[in-house]
Amino acid sequence: MHKKLLRFFVAILVLVFFKINAQDSNLQTSQINPSLIEEANAIIRSEEIIVDIKSIHSVTIKTKRTITILNKYGNKNADAYESYDPSIKIKKLEAVVYDKNGKEIKKYKKKDFKDRSSYDGVSLMIDDRVKYFEYTPVAYPYTIAFESEVEKNSTAFINSWDPISNYRLGIEKSSYKLLNPSKIKLRIKEINFDGYNVERKKGESDEVFLISNVQPVIPEVLSPLRLERVPRVKVALNDFSLKGIEGHASDWKTFGKWQYDKLILGRDELPQETIEEIKQLVANSKTKKEKARLIYKYVQNKTRYISVQLGIGGWMPFLASDVDRLGYGDCKALTNYTKALLNSQGITSYYTIVHADKKIDIDKEFASMQGNHVILNIPDEQEDIWLECTSQNTPFNFIGDFTDDRNVLVIMPEGGEIKRTKKYGSEDNHYHVDATIHLGTDKKLVSDYIKKSKGLEYDWNYKIQYQNPKDQKLYYKKYWDYLNDLKVNSIKYQDDKSDIVFTEKLNISCEGYTKKVGSRLLVVPNVFSRDQSNFPQYEDRQTSLIIARGYVNTDEYIINLPSGYQINSLPEKRELKTKFGLYTYELEKIKDSQIRFKRYLKITDGTYPKEEYENYRKFRSEIKKIDHSKIVLKQI
Amino acid sequence: MKNFYFLLAFLFTVVISLKSHAQEYKFGKITKEELLEESYKGDSTANAAVLFENKKIYYDFGQQNGFRIVTEVFRRIKIYNNKGFDHATHEIYLYKENSNAEKISGLKGITYNLKDGAIEETKLKKSEIFEEEYSEYNNQVKFTMPSLKEGSVIDYKYKIISPFYYSIDKMYLQNTIPIKQLKTVVQIPEYFNFKKFTTGYLPIQLKESSFNSKITLTSKTRSGGQGFTPSSTNFSSRDIDHRVNVYNITSQDVPAFREEPYSGNPDNYLSSIVFELQFVKFPNSKLENFSTTWEAVVKSIYKDPRFGGELEKTSYFKEDLKQLLKSIDSPVEKAALIYNFVKTKMNWNEKYSVVSNHGVKKAYKEGVGNAAEVNFILIAMLKYAKIKATPVLVSSIKKTTALFPTLKGFDYVVARVQLGDKYMYLDATDKYGEPNILPNRVIHGSGRIISENGSTRLVTFRPKTPSLNRLGIQCEVDSDGAVKGKTNLYYKDYLAHNFRLNYSAESQETMIKRLKQKYEINTLDNYEAKGMRELGKPVIERFDFNLDNQVEVIDDEMFFSPLLFLRDKENVFKSEERRYPIDFGFGYSNTMMISIKIPENYEIVEIPKSSAFRLPENMGNFVYRINKTSNSIQVSITETLNVPFVTADYYPVLKQFYSQIIEKESDQVVLKKI
Repeated sequence: MHKKLLRFFVAILVLVFFKINAQDSNLQTSQINPSLIEEANAIIRSEEIIVDIKSIHSVTIKTKRTITILNKYGNKNADAYESYDPSIKIKKLEAVVYDKNGKEIKKYKKKDFKDRSSYDGVSLMIDDRVKYFEYTPVAYPYTIAFESEVEKNSTAFINSWDPISNYRLGIEKSSYKLLNPSKIKLRIKEINFDGYNVERKKGESDEVFLISNVQPVIPEVLSPLRLERVPRVKVALNDFSLKGIEGHASDWKTFGKWQYDKLILGRDELPQETIEEIKQLVANSKTKKEKARLIYKYVQNKTRYISVQLGIGGWMPFLASDVDRLGYGDCKALTNYTKALLNSQGITSYYTIVHADKKIDIDKEFASMQGNHVILNIPDEQEDIWLECTSQNTPFNFIGDFTDDRNVLVIMPEGGEIKRTKKYGSEDNHYHVDATIHLGTDKKLVSDYIKKSKGLEYDWNYKIQYQNPKDQKLYYKKYWDYLNDLKVNSIKYQDDKSDIVFTEKLNISCEGYTKKVGSRLLVVPNVFSRDQSNFPQYEDRQTSLIIARGYVNTDEYIINLPSGYQINSLPEKRELKTKFGLYTYELEKIKDSQIRFKRYLKITDGTYPKEEYENYRKFRSEIKKIDHSKIVLKQI
Repeated sequence: MKNFYFLLAFLFTVVISLKSHAQEYKFGKITKEELLEESYKGDSTANAAVLFENKKIYYDFGQQNGFRIVTEVFRRIKIYNNKGFDHATHEIYLYKENSNAEKISGLKGITYNLKDGAIEETKLKKSEIFEEEYSEYNNQVKFTMPSLKEGSVIDYKYKIISPFYYSIDKMYLQNTIPIKQLKTVVQIPEYFNFKKFTTGYLPIQLKESSFNSKITLTSKTRSGGQGFTPSSTNFSSRDIDHRVNVYNITSQDVPAFREEPYSGNPDNYLSSIVFELQFVKFPNSKLENFSTTWEAVVKSIYKDPRFGGELEKTSYFKEDLKQLLKSIDSPVEKAALIYNFVKTKMNWNEKYSVVSNHGVKKAYKEGVGNAAEVNFILIAMLKYAKIKATPVLVSSIKKTTALFPTLKGFDYVVARVQLGDKYMYLDATDKYGEPNILPNRVIHGSGRIISENGSTRLVTFRPKTPSLNRLGIQCEVDSDGAVKGKTNLYYKDYLAHNFRLNYSAESQETMIKRLKQKYEINTLDNYEAKGMRELGKPVIERFDFNLDNQVEVIDDEMFFSPLLFLRDKENVFKSEERRYPIDFGFGYSNTMMISIKIPENYEIVEIPKSSAFRLPENMGNFVYRINKTSNSIQVSITETLNVPFVTADYYPVLKQFYSQIIEKESDQVVLKKI
């Protein structure tokens, strides 16, 4: 017995000894293929993710990742943490840090990881937490070998494979193995495999995806999102569970049906008192749209956005009666509440899941848990109505660039359906500026300025009215940062929420606007709408050019010349016409002391081949040059 | 320039009580007028206002727990519009340490709304209050008030019971929204002696009084139980009479606090009052002294094993040091070698601290440490090499400037070294640091040095001389108005430091991209950066450029600013008024030398006038000189800001100064076709 133990002990000693002394030659950073390192901040040396679907109530994810961090920007790629909540168990968690020669410098066991709430910066309360460690790099490059095992009760989300998880991340090899011993029906979708050498091997009850030697992806302006550029694999089970709630779905119809039945149905009861109030409120309205408008206003006045995400509450809205009493809720709660109020007046509306902010579609062909926000859809005769229920300020049926023009999941009692939200076209997004400008002999400029914004231009401008007057003034000083010594003498706003037009009326002055040079006075006629863009040049552009949203800007100024000066010749009208839009610049003499300035700019949204980027850049830089051009006034 | 500390001292002024006729507020009792109020009287831009804030802080004695501090808070907030809704969410942090923890009790809240002319109340429910572990030392209690509408009034109150009887939290007397009426009462038994300090620009009314009180102690004595006498328990109680000192702080119409850019730590300007414990003296026991003078503070920190003890250790580096110094004798060389060695070997873990956390040995071994550990190693090595080096306790930019002698006023350590009759500051946490070139986090703060005789002195780290910058362009304009030329950009001292800090890890490609963006240059070739790694020397950037957007051709004339892309276009100071000082950290002097050759078939018809202007009290100046020959223009410009710190009363002239510079730099040259 004693002998046996001793032998065992020695074996361990040898093992440990061996481990400590080993300089893993594979971990030496000199082994990395130099072509991967160029332009990279970090290199995944090897990554192995095993998703083991044990049952519809249990999935285990084993992660082994060895990553070499090349510089300080690469630190964020270490990904050496795990998130958890009451339904997720972290079973294994450890990390070892190696220097560039592959020598171990630090080791973290599970107990060495720190634990904190993964506060999202918005919520009042969430139950998500994260275990992480703090490591201060002593030299670059260094390597982290991370290993974890996590068990999740919810199988509604199966970790997708997204090996190129960041820009400037090179990959030696990465694999993703899906084990499905109990043969639960599942769906797998390959995304953006084109141009990448991804191997897929299918076994009896497992599937493996493998990628190796991937050059880092570099971000570019006006380009598709990373998600649209890199290869990924999405997985979803047909039978699954979400925080204990079981589900079955194979397409959006059945997936939506499950969401409706399990997460939404029966959460819309309202106090009788409120129903009466709403009834009174809409009593005189005739159309569905008019009623909905009043109810939306009622919700805006009564509620505010407060996020509480606990347990299933991350996916299930608060009861409508709770929102009614508390006067707050998150996007789910407020949408559900609005839906309930509409329903009480016989108006059908649908809870709708969307990916807000970044323009990301809900994947039409792949039913799974997606999106990050909820809005409300009301089918109407000509055009659907879309309501953003978390804002007290947005006009009725105005979703702005937060959720416009993308595929969303509309959840109906009979099942889900993919619809596309409203698109604001170039002509819809229009601002027009009217200004009367007086130039003084003392170089001073005084101007009345009126700007009317519609469509997304409304969205991009209307929020200024909610700032305090000091900040409003600062806003204009920043907006026209090229106007030295700008004074904003008066500000007036008109916000027409029914026609969705925002008007800014300003009186501004600027002490040294014109420049006196000998007997000349130099004036830039385009005072207010100068193109300020500054797009970088690419020697070898990789991605297509994306102009996500178009717009039209028009300006018309009457410029009163300073007394004693006149204009000899006005520049010719300029016109630039490209596939990206149209630009015109025009000056005309009204009388000796007065000229008119007119500018028109239309940018057309669209996706253009990568070769077009340089043309677009030139188009904009040419506009910018013309916008900044001067005219010369001569002393009489 | 007025001294910063003079200014702070000036802020101590406590305005003695003015009698006021204040409205009475009680939790749960509100008037219709408050609900009807549509905007705040003194500040119509306020989205919400604290109508009343009442804090009562007192000592409670229990025989089991001893002294505890009870803080009762009652706040009434008016929400004028939906932008003020955030003020209906409140967070309370409860401190904990070992097994002691602050506790909250009696949290109650009510929202009031006006409905059909009647007051409607909605109570905050228990289920709407959340408590969670926020960090190792804090729990957090959070709630948001129900049924909030524009015009709502909310009341909430709670009580915090703290076992940390020696520490009274800093009391803020100002908020980001206006406060109509503020009442704070602090009651402290005579056993505890506190000193008071205030910050901010606002008058504070403080009234002192006292009253008699007593603590009743109950004791239990058992008697008998021996022999034939039955045992019995007697209860007796004893009253201890004492005085309670009362501090009444009241304030009305406190304006909202707004942060301003370039002002360092805004907390330095926010109105507050701090009670700092001086000593504790219980009846029949010895006086227990807490920090009283800076000297005592320093003494106490040297006694702390995590400070003095760690500074003494030498065994861990002895061998390395021997290797490093070999036979070098010159103290300057030794100091430089050690400083570079520690800078290279040690890596700062971005933790601010005035004491060691895991010990210098461990830090040294791993090459990672907090600010104290890294600089302790530096100091200990220097001392071991017989160089005079002492620690300087620092209040970094993150710390509110310490107003009274307290250890809590410091969060960072740097080294002060004496070489011959020269002194310099070193901070080994900063890879790009140099002697007397310290990181931003240090220069925006202040320090306290300890002389050999044990006395201490306040020091600032802001450099006395401006950092230099020399920018040069040599170029020629062609007959189409395109400009071709060479540029030299030369940065010294703090400007070189910041350049290295920002760009050392960047690739050449990124550097070129950055310059092209910044200066709007079409083509940029032959880029080189020199001196990036040669600390102590200037950093130099050189490149060739082509521009097509600087010269404007109108008819037969050309117009351009002779500064080309070096022209400053935007004034960083936009706000019309300013309450707090402007803290640049360091002064600077920019020199620009530009030489422009004009195209052959053109002549110079106009050039800007040479001119100069200055700021008062030699704070700064601007000189613009221009010369021409028949085919070239030479411009030389110097822009200097001598002082790193400017008080708010100079803000208008400073703003004007920059505006004039921008105006002058946009002056145009005119060329005419011959």
